[in-house]
Amino acid sequence: MITSLIGLILRAAVVLAGTALITFTLLWNAPGDPAQAIAMARFDALLTQDIINQVREEAGLDAGFWTAFITWVGPLLTLDFGQSSVTGRDVWPDLLTAIGYVTPLAVGGLAIGLALSFSLAIVATRRPGGLLDRFAIAVASLGTAIPAYWLGLLLILLFAVHLAWLPAMGARTPSHIILPALTLGLGVAASLTRIIRSGILEARDQPFLSAIRRRGVSPKDISRDHIAPHAAIPVVTVFGLELAFLLEGVVMVEVIFGRPGLGTFLVNAIEARDFPQVQAVVVLTALIFVTVNLIIDVIYRIIDPRIGGRNA
Amino acid sequence: MNLSVSGLSATRSGRTILHPTSLDIAQCEYIALVGASGSGKSTLGHVLIDNLRSRGLRVAHVPQCPEEALDPLRSMRFHWHETERALGFDPGSTDKKTLFTALKIQDGDLQKRPWAWSRGMQQRFVIAMALISAPDLIVLDEPTSALDPIIAAATMDLLGQYRKGHDTAMILITHDLGLAARHASTLIVMHNGRIVEKASTVEVLKHPQTDAAKSLVAHRIWAAMPC
Amino acid sequence: MLKVDRVWVRRGSRFALENISLSLPPGKTLAIVGESGAGKSTLIATILGLLKPRKGDVTWADHSVRACGPALVMQEPRAAFNPALSLRRSVMEPIVARNEVVPHERIRRLSDSLELSLDILDRCPGEISIGQAQRLAILRALMTAPPLVLLDEPLSALDAATQKRTARLISDLQREERFAAMVVTHDLGYAVAHADEIAVIKSGRIEEVFTPQTFAMEPKSAYCRSLRDAAIALGALEEPV
Repeated sequence: MITSLIGLILRAAVVLAGTALITFTLLWNAPGDPAQAIAMARFDALLTQDIINQVREEAGLDAGFWTAFITWVGPLLTLDFGQSSVTGRDVWPDLLTAIGYVTPLAVGGLAIGLALSFSLAIVATRRPGGLLDRFAIAVASLGTAIPAYWLGLLLILLFAVHLAWLPAMGARTPSHIILPALTLGLGVAASLTRIIRSGILEARDQPFLSAIRRRGVSPKDISRDHIAPHAAIPVVTVFGLELAFLLEGVVMVEVIFGRPGLGTFLVNAIEARDFPQVQAVVVLTALIFVTVNLIIDVIYRIIDPRIGGRNA
Repeated sequence: MNLSVSGLSATRSGRTILHPTSLDIAQCEYIALVGASGSGKSTLGHVLIDNLRSRGLRVAHVPQCPEEALDPLRSMRFHWHETERALGFDPGSTDKKTLFTALKIQDGDLQKRPWAWSRGMQQRFVIAMALISAPDLIVLDEPTSALDPIIAAATMDLLGQYRKGHDTAMILITHDLGLAARHASTLIVMHNGRIVEKASTVEVLKHPQTDAAKSLVAHRIWAAMPC
Repeated sequence: MLKVDRVWVRRGSRFALENISLSLPPGKTLAIVGESGAGKSTLIATILGLLKPRKGDVTWADHSVRACGPALVMQEPRAAFNPALSLRRSVMEPIVARNEVVPHERIRRLSDSLELSLDILDRCPGEISIGQAQRLAILRALMTAPPLVLLDEPLSALDAATQKRTARLISDLQREERFAAMVVTHDLGYAVAHADEIAVIKSGRIEEVFTPQTFAMEPKSAYCRSLRDAAIALGALEEPV
């Protein structure tokens, strides 16, 4: 267990290092001159070559690729994202504001998604192939097929325009979060429902269940003690992937609903070629992603120690 | 206790796999249910267990292989306690030491999950679970076919010894008349979902009546050991 | 003649086969008897050239075994055929793969010997019995007239009566075709009834080699004695009179 945990952490570290390198390479090779873009954003005036060169030097952009990479990655290791190359302000406070907007949205979306998908899957698997089951599959397929931006617009049309129950744009009051979280949650639910459903059905097919039933164990206990753990394995797997979907969806949903947050932060940073801000978002996302997957891998090994074991 | 059931039958996707069947089992009787694959012998075993259980009788079931009896995600202790609870005992209150010693699995680590035990030990653990409540009947479904011969033989021997001290009847379900004839005193021959012959082992071996029984008897043994 | 000469095979951190020497002349049957994990499957893979021995060689008539075109029959008859293809296509595959002419006459003779009706070739694998599937797998293995046939637990998926019938058909065919057969089995009854020689292996080593006749006398090692006693207790062998 200990050795496999160390292995997992090492793997996570490699993924993070790779992410850092790829991010930096992409930014370095992006078309256009970052120094010029920064200078334009900062001074918004007629630019002389002198000013651009000065900016280039300040931002450490005149050194070679590897030198720039090393000077860049050093502070990142302590999560010091430096100052915005456009505004000159620290990255952290702005980023924290964005995170403050994003977190309730992501958590809310995830909660709605989990609640919906679990109840839908459990109802559906009561009678596999029955009417409810087919309904659940249809809803889930539909949900996967509808893109978030369209679903978002539909929800705005229904709840904000026609019924006027909920606000659509901005983030002024807590009720502003309901529609975006619902958009996000429905997307999550669509893909999770199918996985949970097939996980439960597959778990019910395990060969040992009829023997356990013949030992006199009640159906309720069998569901809790034997079917649930087996069904959990595929669900936990997909949950890690779902998180990637969620981070991507959050950016999209924020833009649709005009919410400030990570999406606006990221889009503005990219447009302004603000290296430090973009990097901060990418590094933080990668860190969250790798951490969650690390936790998932550990949960796996707790549910079924054969996974990743020597005798697997 | 004599057990008797009647009207057992089973269908699967519209096809009858077990025609209405009655069965009497005397106290301590050792019956072998033999037949080719697809003859309905396992099905008869299953519906027999379900029927007797529903009437409140204590029937234990030992499936063909440990994979069909134990959840790989749950520890041996969990299985043991679960079975105790299902039988109405407080977890940990039954005498597992005697059973484990008799079945020679007293050294097994109960914290471990099934796959950390050898298959032979897993199978004997399943048998131990079957013996917890001193059942009226034990149904063994091909208990040896998934085991290596030495362990299989030892397992059959342990079951035979257990029977000597208890009033437990046994039903051995097998396709192998050689195995059945070594252990059981009564043979029930099945063919196409019906019992076609029931008689003492000696009688069936000497005078098989039906074609199904004749075929089984003709193919009973590989070869007499050359001398 | 198959010669396995002082072969050592590593699997992972340990030797799965240690110093194995065997020989099998054409037309004879050698049974490899052992419990699961004894190295039986490793031995087959080594003979087929799928695993490279660390030391020692495996040869057929002084050449590599691969060169003689050996055939393999495996334990699970149903897994031997692609469920989506007709049996005819599956059975003809080795011929088609070698761009050879379909030996209709030979197929008819083999199917007669194996008591198979050729009609079943037009069915799908799910529509025939396990016993038929295994005989068909044997037919496919023998179609190219291999001098060496390896059978890995060929009977253990079948029921007792079918086992005995299939074993007899294999032996009869072998008498006609004169191929060398190596049978891996855990069933001593089968080995005693149908093999010319029995090699007992345990933990990757050869414990003893017998003929069925000498096996009746007391085996030397305690392990072989307990194997024999277990076979008797399970009704696979009759006790010597």
